This record gives sequence, structure tokens and C-alpha cells, in this order.
Amino acid sequence: MKKAISLTGIAMMVLLWNACNKDEEAVAPPVPGNEFLTTVELKVTNENDPSDTQTASWKDMNPDDDTPPDVSAAKLTLKPNAKYKAEVLFWDDTQSPRGDVTEEIKERENYHLVCFTVSSGLNLTVKRTDHDTNTPALEVGLEDEFTTGATGAGKLNVQLRHQPNVKDGTCEPGSTDADVNYDITIQ
Amino acid sequence: MGICYARFACGQCIHTFALSGKVSDPDGRPIAGAVVGIAALGKGTVADQQGVYHMTGLCPGNYTVTCEKVGFRKVSVRLTLDSNSRHVWVLTTDTTELKEVLIAGDRRRMLSTVTREVLESSLKFGSRAQPLGESLKAIPGLNSVQMGPSLSKPVIQGLYGNRILILNNGVRQEGQQWGEDHAPELDPFVAGKISVIKGAAGIRYGPDAIAGVVLLEPAALPATPGIGGSVNLTGASNGRMGVGSATLEGALGHRLSGWAWRVQGTLKRAGNFRTPHYYLGNTGLGESDFSASVGYRKNRFDIQLFYSHYGTKIGIFDGSHVGNIEDLYAAFKRSRPLTPSVFSYKIRRSYQSVRHDLFKASAHYQFGNGGKVEADFARQGDLRQEYDVDLPYSDDPAVLNMPQLRFRLTTHTLNVAYIEPERNHFSGSIGLSGMTQGNVFRGIRYLIPNFRNYTGGAFAIEQYNRNRLTLEGGLRYDYLWLRVYQRDQASLALYHSTFDYSNLTGTLGFRYRLGERFSINGNFGIAWRAPSINELYIRGVHFSAASYEIGDSALVSERSYNTTAGLKYRSEKFQAGLDLYDNEINHFIYAQPLLQPVTIISGTYPAFRYTQADVRLRGADLNASYRFLPHFDLASKISFVRGYNKSIHDDLIYMPADRFDHTLSYRRKKLGRLQDVRLSLQNVTVSRQTRVPPNSDYVPPPPGYSLFNADVGFRLPYRKQGVDMDFAVRNLTNVAYREYLNGFRYYADEPGINFIVSARLKF
Repeated sequence: MKKAISLTGIAMMVLLWNACNKDEEAVAPPVPGNEFLTTVELKVTNENDPSDTQTASWKDMNPDDDTPPDVSAAKLTLKPNAKYKAEVLFWDDTQSPRGDVTEEIKERENYHLVCFTVSSGLNLTVKRTDHDTNTPALEVGLEDEFTTGATGAGKLNVQLRHQPNVKDGTCEPGSTDADVNYDITIQ
Repeated sequence: MGICYARFACGQCIHTFALSGKVSDPDGRPIAGAVVGIAALGKGTVADQQGVYHMTGLCPGNYTVTCEKVGFRKVSVRLTLDSNSRHVWVLTTDTTELKEVLIAGDRRRMLSTVTREVLESSLKFGSRAQPLGESLKAIPGLNSVQMGPSLSKPVIQGLYGNRILILNNGVRQEGQQWGEDHAPELDPFVAGKISVIKGAAGIRYGPDAIAGVVLLEPAALPATPGIGGSVNLTGASNGRMGVGSATLEGALGHRLSGWAWRVQGTLKRAGNFRTPHYYLGNTGLGESDFSASVGYRKNRFDIQLFYSHYGTKIGIFDGSHVGNIEDLYAAFKRSRPLTPSVFSYKIRRSYQSVRHDLFKASAHYQFGNGGKVEADFARQGDLRQEYDVDLPYSDDPAVLNMPQLRFRLTTHTLNVAYIEPERNHFSGSIGLSGMTQGNVFRGIRYLIPNFRNYTGGAFAIEQYNRNRLTLEGGLRYDYLWLRVYQRDQASLALYHSTFDYSNLTGTLGFRYRLGERFSINGNFGIAWRAPSINELYIRGVHFSAASYEIGDSALVSERSYNTTAGLKYRSEKFQAGLDLYDNEINHFIYAQPLLQPVTIISGTYPAFRYTQADVRLRGADLNASYRFLPHFDLASKISFVRGYNKSIHDDLIYMPADRFDHTLSYRRKKLGRLQDVRLSLQNVTVSRQTRVPPNSDYVPPPPGYSLFNADVGFRLPYRKQGVDMDFAVRNLTNVAYREYLNGFRYYADEPGINFIVSARLKF
């Protein structure tokens, strides 16, 4: 019986000593190598005028926070009845130099789809020009062609849809990783 | 424990033997306090709380041994004692003294003036294969909040999570209780008995238990030398679930007399569950648990070591992945998930993986005056890892394999209590308890911070029993110190914030027997709960609910004033019980919807901030059963709860809807070769919850529903103990329905018809 008591005593001491490991005081720093999605850019180049290149930027530096995003540069002015080559770029601006998230999306292009919604009054059509490696190949939307019509203004909504194992070419399946709006003026 | 009389000096012979065993009623419930005696030797002993008795120092010979207890028929047997022997007594009730037994059984147990209900384990042994929250619904007033078919948390009288204490083998279960998708990390098969205390029980078990306590108690370790055990097997058609649990136990004899042991393990596997019309993709689960205990008892001393491991991996329904509020509305508009699923055991992202380890050492010592001191120390480690459906954006394989959220909570608890012997109608107990916790959070996205806390408490409960009256009162004081460790987002500098909370808990109650069959009880209890870490500091998106939650570090403790009243009536053919409660909670903490939504890169989310208000929960739990023909019973259980926010004059969100449960059963002790035969048909009807505050939810609560369940059970004679068999059908009519307290009500129906077969072999 005495043995049992002393064994328990030793076990308790070991455990109490373990309790004094103050792991919680060393708060883990942000995980290195992980990239936050902070910025979505639209880079457009006029197919007839390579000097007409613009970049619109939607930026949220605190992606886990409720502070409002910076949308001051989330606008584009396009020419009427023109064709633009467009690229959708995703960045991590919490790092310096900025982290390129587009690359990771491209690597997992079979799970992703970029979807565009044009508001009424804006004469813009968007056609995706890149394809993934699914069979049959499905569009991705990181590279696109914008075709403008008559003058007008409105909003272009860009969504990055995450569709692991459910990608079927439509926007519906999956969940949203990014959902941002740009002000587009055609004049 | 044995009492030696001078007439026969002890140790008269060279070899003495022990006689031990158990005293129980025909249903296997232990009879504490039964007296086992050998008149010829003038020796006797009293069975303990588990009905276990132990007599030592007996000379070989033939003896007439008797077992008796007030309220039961006395039994005598002739035994030949030539080795250490075991005898199991089964006492049948003496109906003329039934009432005395009832009161004696309630007596001396602490918190006897609040309602305590035991889950009938002997009848529905197969229910251990279900999540704990599900099987507890058999008790009136209990419900569960769910996240899909396999994550279930118990709800007592409208409250859940941190407001309920789960006591697993005497240890406060400490995991990450705050999350609605964080189910209790324990294996119900470890428990020999599951019971629930409804009402203020914080006085004995520590603050937090504002709503009540769920107690899981393992059966006592065997006292008689030999090996025994049991095997439980359950198979269910829905999810093609298989559960196996086995127990092996024994007690040692001769020189190692007094030592006993038990090992137990459970394996569980299920694939995608199915609603009446479609499969729920990625809802499979795998679980493996084991536990081991060893105990030593000698004379007045009893020591036990216990270790258990719980490990599970649970898939999260793939139709519930929504990015933002638009996705959620789109999901809700669909009558079925967009992507059809098939049956599969495979668990893909997203899933959660949880490990919980518990080590416990406990010791009891019985004093000569009948008093008892109990001490226990426990260490729990809880590791919860949650993997989102999407991989992190990274090239680093180490980051890709990391869970998005990882919580590690380590808890140490130490309790010491002294149970006074009954003297001049008074009995009671006093005790001290201490706890410390360290929480380490590591995640790719922020959710809650690290913390360390220390809690200390002292309590005293006193009970007065005389004739038909029991009076009970108690006081408790607790102090909680909490330090939260964080890192500044911009400068990465470490900083911490310190909080402390202290409060008094009190209880006052009575129980009184009126006449032969009727008893009433009443209790008033004050309890408190310090804000939990998520309420103070959460900041982030709750994915399955598509909401953005913001904690408030200025929150103060909740304080509950709970008044309960109950009455019980019991006769041969009819029995009924009614519990009424009024729980006034000041500074009740809840997530209040904010008018301004939060926009982050993945979309726009409705925002919720933790805030406090004075609320009131009122309700009634009614149960009644009537034997209208021999062998036929009709039993009904009805629960109502009304939650009201007194500060904003509105209803409280997430209150269980009115629930009506009726069961028609047929029972026979013997039918041909079969024993304990029972057939039952159950109807569970749940109303639509109409009392919800406006604009607090994305969609209105789902309509009410009515389900039928059927059960057939019996015992097949096989060797000594027989094989128990149970066949059950859940949702017999394959109704498609959604439950208000299930977080997945936005996305999919509840599971459809399910055929369950269970078998239990004891040896």
C-alpha cells in the first residue's frame, strides 16, 4: 500500500512539473510560408493599343479583421467597343516583397474558377481564355478577354470560387475565397 | 469493513478466506447499504455505494449467510467456505416498504433536492453507440445542438456548451467546450451509468454548471477474484456504421487480494450518412478509444489509477462549405445539396481531428466514525485540429499539411472532499478544488488567443434528514485568475492581459414526502460563470455559420438565480413527475447581430458581437407512464422551454422547440426461451420554434416534425449471463425534416431511416 502511495506521489509530481511548462506564453508568430489573400488586381491591356495598360486593385490588409478594405484603387476606365486582354492577380501584401498567390491558384487550377458578374448598365462581356487540366478541360478565368460596348458605368464583381472535387465549369458549386467589386467606366 | 465480535476471536484458524461480491436489484442496480452477515460468526459487513461487499478473515466451514436491507426481502443461503469465494445477491423489493427504500436511496446523497435522472442503460445498451448528446434526449428536458449527424452536444433546459458541466469519471471534462461543433471528447462506453442533474449543481462541481451536470460514472472495479467482461457490437444501416466495444476486468486473489483492474476499448467507423433523398457527402467518422484502470482496496483504504484516450476524425459535410452570406442564401434555396454524393467511408477535407487523454489518480479513506475523505488528481490533454476545405495558399509542404486551426488545452485538477457521517439527522460534506489550464493556439488564421488560468474553490453542503423531510443548504466560493497572451499583429511584440473573477455560489432546497406515493421538492440556487475565451477574444469567421464573430474583453461574469420545483407520484400502475424551473440569468452572454456587416476579401459576412443581457429561461419537463393493461405501458415525456431577453424585451435565440415523446411498450420477464422481452413504438413530435427574435437568423426556423422509432429487445439464454439483443428502427417512416438546433439546417435534411442491430455478451 505504501508503495502504491509513493508511486502515485511520484506520478503526481511529474505531472505537476509538466503543468509548469508555460507553452502558452510563447504565442506562435504568423506561420512562415503561409500566404494571406489580401489583394485582388485586374490588369488590362488594350489589344489594339499596348500602351493602354491599367491595373485596378482591391486591397484588404487585415484579411482576418473587420477593418474596412481599401477600394480607392478598385476602378478601371475602358474605351468603348474595344477588346482588352485581362489578368486576375492575387497577392499577399502583408509580406515584403509581396507574395504571389496567383501561382498557388494556378497550381491548383483544377479546384478553382474565377467568376465575373457585370451589373446592368455596363456594356462589358468577359470571356475566360485559360483552361485547366481536367478532362475535359474546364475554364479557370485567371486570364480573360474583356469586350466593351457602348459607353456607360457600373460594377464588375469578381469571385474566386474554390471547388475541390466538384468543379463542373459553372460557378455554383464550392465556396467563395474572394468576392470583390470594381467600378468600371466605359468612356 | 468487517466487524469482529469478541465471542469469536479473529484469526482463530490458520487459513482464513474472504467472501465478497455484489448486491443488486433484479435490474442490476446496486443496493448500497445492504448488510451481509454470518450469524454463527457474529460477523457482518455493509455493501458500499456500488453494492460491493467484502468480508475477510473467515475460517473454513459451512455457514448460513444472510443478506438484508430495509425495503427488500431478506435472503439466506448455505455456503461452503473452503477458498476465497464470491456470492452475488439479487434482492427483490418488499412492496410494503417500497416508499422507505425510495427515501433511503435519495438520502445522504448530495444535491438531493434538485432533479437527478438516470439514463436507463440496461434497457438501451445500444444507445452507447450514439453520440452522448443524442442518447441523453431520452431524459425529459434534454436536447442537443448539432452540426451534422455526428457532432452533438447536450442541452439541459435550453442551455448548453460552457453552461453545462460534464463530469467524466469524477473529472470535469475540459476540451474546447465553447464551439457549437466541438462535441464532448469522451467514449460513452466507459460509463457504467449516465445521469443528469437538472438545475443549479455548481455548488458541488464548481462554477459553470448553471444549467446542470451530466455525470458519466464507470462501474465499480470487481471485488471478487476472477476475470469477467463484456463485448458490445452495434451495426447501423445509415452511414453503414459499425461500433465495437469490449471490456475485460478482474480482481486478483491470494497475496494480491484487493487489487483489481479493467481495460476497455471502443472502435467506431461510419461513412456518409443518408437523408431520405440523398447522401450527405463527407460525413463519415472514425473513432478509437481505450481506457485502463487499476485499483487497490484494503480495509478502509481505496486507491485507483485511470487512464483513457479518445481519438476521432470527423468529416464535415461538404454541402456546408460556404464562403460568405451569398453562398449561404444560395445553399438554403436549394432543396438538396448542389453536388450529389454517394456512399463512401473516405474522409476528405474539411474535417476535424480530436485527441483527448485523461489520467486520474484517486484515493478514498473511510474513517472509523463512518466519515470518508476523497481526493483526486487529474490531468487532461485536449488537442483539436481543424482542417478547412481549402489548403492554405503556400508552396511549403509543411504549411500545406498544417491544420488551419489547432488548439491544445492542458488541464490539471485537484479535489479533496470530506464526507461527514450522519449524526443527529445531519450529514454533509466539505471540500476544496483547484484547477489550472493552459491553452496553446496555433493556426493559419486567428481565432482565439493563448491563455493560462488558475481556479480555486471551497464548498460546504449540509443536509438534514428527518422522517419525511430533507433540507439541504450549501455555500461555495470560487476565484478565477486568467491571463491572456497575444502578439501584436503589426510589431509582433508579445503582450498579455490579466483578469480575475470571484463569486459565491449557494443552494437551498427541500424534499418532502406527502403520504405514501407522493413527494415534492424545491430548490433555489445561485451560480455563476466567468466569460469563456471565445466570448472575450474571438475574432474571425465561423465558416459553417458564415458569420463573423467578435469577442468583447470587457464582459463580466454571468450570474444565474435558478428556482426549481418538482413533484413525483408513484403507484403500481401509474407514475408521473413534473419539474418546473425559472432560471433568471443576469449578464447572460450571447452573440448579438450587428447592423453593419463585415467585408473581408472572401466576401461580406453578417457580424455578431458578444454582449450581455438579463434573460429568463422558464420551462416545464413532464413525464408520466401508465400500465393500462398487464405488460403494456404508455409513457409520455413533454418538455417546454421559453427564453426571454429582459433587457431588449425579446425572445432568446436557439431555444429548443416544444418536444413531445410518447412510447407504447410491451414487456415480459419471460416469453418462451427469451428473457426481458420488450417491444416498443415511439413517436417524437417537435413543434416549429416560433419564438425567435426578428432579424437574428438568416432563415426562419424549420417546420416541426414527427418521427416514429421502433425497438425490439430480449435476452437469449447463453451460458450464465445470456446475450442481449436489440433491434431498432429510427425514423421508421423515412421523414425528411430539419431540426432547429442543428447548425446544418441551412444546408441539408436530417438522416433518414436507420436500422440498428446491437448485441451484448457478458462473461
